[in-house]
Amino acid sequence: MPPSEDRTSRSAAPAVSGEVSAMALEDTDLAARCLAGDLSAYERLYALQGARMKNVARNLLGNALDAEDAVQETFLKVQRSITSFRGHSSFVTWAYRILINTCYDARRSRMRKKEVSTDDDSEETPHFEPRAPGAHPSLRIALERALARLTKHQRDVFLLYEVEGFHHAEIAAMLEITETASKNTLFQAKKNLRQVLEPPRNQSATGAR
Amino acid sequence: MNIDCKDRDRIFEDGTPAEWAGLEAHSASCEGCAEEMRAWKALSVAAQELRDYSDAPSLWPRIGQALAEQASAKRMRWLNLGTSLALGWQLAAAAALALLVTLGAVWVYVHRTPRNTPQEMADKFLLKSPALAEVERTQAAYEQAIDKLAAEAKPQIDNPATPLQASYREKLLVLDSAIDDLRAQAGLNPSNAQLRQQLLAMYQEKQQTLQDILEEKR
Repeated sequence: MPPSEDRTSRSAAPAVSGEVSAMALEDTDLAARCLAGDLSAYERLYALQGARMKNVARNLLGNALDAEDAVQETFLKVQRSITSFRGHSSFVTWAYRILINTCYDARRSRMRKKEVSTDDDSEETPHFEPRAPGAHPSLRIALERALARLTKHQRDVFLLYEVEGFHHAEIAAMLEITETASKNTLFQAKKNLRQVLEPPRNQSATGAR
Repeated sequence: MNIDCKDRDRIFEDGTPAEWAGLEAHSASCEGCAEEMRAWKALSVAAQELRDYSDAPSLWPRIGQALAEQASAKRMRWLNLGTSLALGWQLAAAAALALLVTLGAVWVYVHRTPRNTPQEMADKFLLKSPALAEVERTQAAYEQAIDKLAAEAKPQIDNPATPLQASYREKLLVLDSAIDDLRAQAGLNPSNAQLRQQLLAMYQEKQQTLQDILEEKR
């Protein structure tokens, strides 16, 4: 999707600078209150980001139960390590980085258990459980299957950018990669998804490729 | 902006809004690029199907409770640490005070002003030969007994497990130094009874300290 057509929901893409300041202020305020041990600040963080955090975790882990556990673990880790938050990124982005690492840990742990039980060393991909029907359930199922065929990195960047609406700068901070790498990974992910979802019908239509 | 098919992938990857507008304009006359753009955008639209921000009413109460429990456990840890630190400091302070009092007493004893004339002091403090021999025998036996006591307390002295034991070790070092000093002076002036008395006081203090260390061990 072109930058000019970014969804209005893209996370930190407020239209005016006043909104940027307000969000930055709220972010700083949240970090300070969490640092002071104010539990209501965590509740505010949950109110602002809880649903999206759960959706991120669900798409990374494949089911709601594991996703809820990951979100809870993330909040506990934020509380435990708030003193190490240095403000290099926004507080919310930092919390998402913890969430993503928590999901990676959960995936690794699940993979280890799987290896012990079945001796299967295939790459861990989320196995999506059925969700509430959306507007295009068949499209969603096809996309989930196609995503499972991407590399872990491509899948994560696609989910964070296209589904959750994060900017490349935020994704870079969350995944500890460069912004350019995030853009390139998204491009590769979408190219691969296109190939999986829509087998080539007419080579001439691919133009410069 | 002059955009053609060659630019398409680059713009898909990292195009500016102006470049996207240029690609749109190019697509109006290029069926291949128009199809690619449609498919590219369709992926973004399809991705919305994976967005489910439905409420999970039981999740926050669960998280809130876990956070409160974790905060409470952390407070308890700090409290326990504070208590144990306070106890440790009390012991260390008591040991330091005991050491200061001892050192003060030693200093006063060593540097006290003689009130008698030199001749009276000499008569009073110089030992006669038979008495000197007896004092030296007794001192040697006493030294041997204290050495045995020191050997028994050596593990605690070498590796003090508490601040109190560490203070005892410091005290013993000071006492040993004073004893060595007094013994050297007594060697130069063996008939000086005052030096012998001071040496005896040092030995008594060392003996008491070693006994304290062994008592604490038990």
